[in-house]
Amino acid sequence: MDKEYLIKSAEKLNQVSEKTANEYQNKRDILISKINEIMLSRPDLESLIGIENINMMKDNHANHVRFISSIIKNFEPEILVETVLWVFRAYRSHGFSTNYWASQLNSWIEILKTHLSDNAYNEILPFYEWMQVNIPLFAKLSDDELDKNLSQHKT
Amino acid sequence: MDNHPKVEEISEEFVNYLLTGRKKESSAIIFQFLNQNNSFLELYEKLIKKSLYKIGELWEYNKITVAAEHLASAIIETILNELYPKIAKTEKQNKKILLACVENEFHQIGIKIISDIFELNGWNSFFLGANTPTNELIRFAKSINPDIIGLSMSIYFHLPVLENMLLKIKDEFPEIPIIIGGQAFRYGGLEILAKFNNVFYFADSYEIYNSIKNLNL
Repeated sequence: MDKEYLIKSAEKLNQVSEKTANEYQNKRDILISKINEIMLSRPDLESLIGIENINMMKDNHANHVRFISSIIKNFEPEILVETVLWVFRAYRSHGFSTNYWASQLNSWIEILKTHLSDNAYNEILPFYEWMQVNIPLFAKLSDDELDKNLSQHKT
Repeated sequence: MDNHPKVEEISEEFVNYLLTGRKKESSAIIFQFLNQNNSFLELYEKLIKKSLYKIGELWEYNKITVAAEHLASAIIETILNELYPKIAKTEKQNKKILLACVENEFHQIGIKIISDIFELNGWNSFFLGANTPTNELIRFAKSINPDIIGLSMSIYFHLPVLENMLLKIKDEFPEIPIIIGGQAFRYGGLEILAKFNNVFYFADSYEIYNSIKNLNL
């Protein structure tokens, strides 16, 4: 399984309605505030994100909402896959563990369930489930790239 | 036989100087590159753009800090300003372009280069820089009546902001062509631009340079 597999599987996701995309975008501040609150309260946070990475984590949460706002409004599977891969590479190389994405995505789903209307939640949920299911593959592909980069710098 | 070092070697040395804050040496490399009969376009695309991408990659792989990345950007901007007298001496036409980054976008070197390419072609460039609020851009545009507006976006998730900007600008200036560029469009996003009349995407400096004559209004 590779990047092409991810793109093909992402192609099965459905474009959400404009109403849902607007609702998600309009609620971005509360969504970001809640994810920060939940993640910061975790006693195992350092094991998830590494040392001195709290600001980077908060940036990621704000960027996550901006990115999802864009992608659900103008869905393009290749952009979704390339961006998530970039995030995995950049954040893993800075000390974030794979478990961070598992914890984060679980928390996002809980937050969306609480703060979005039922219709918006049901339309957006498949995107989050797709990311959840594919964490191992994103981790593997980003590890391959990181290893490749490391060997390039050794030669 | 060409004894000049390859651009890859020059780029590697340039990146090393940038990341260690060696402004004078970085500047010397640029001027030497131009003195070896390389054009400004080659400088922008082959040396500056590639070096910036390399620096971005080094951050991505945790080889350098954000501080080093900012230092490198600051030095490049200083060098672009040093080059400005060489660009601005071109005989001027009576054409104006207004350039800016979309709101929340802080990567301004690319659009600064586009500003300089228009200057090289005799246009008067009004470069507003990073993170330009739409209302301020519109207010300024009303004061200078540009022939073209140029916008840059490096990060994909600013796409809704760009769309909103285009709606507002087109509402005020339906006839003025708008040109768009930036790394954000590497994997897509162009269908948003297709919704608007007279909005054009350019992938790099060469495309812009070759199209400027057709943009003469």
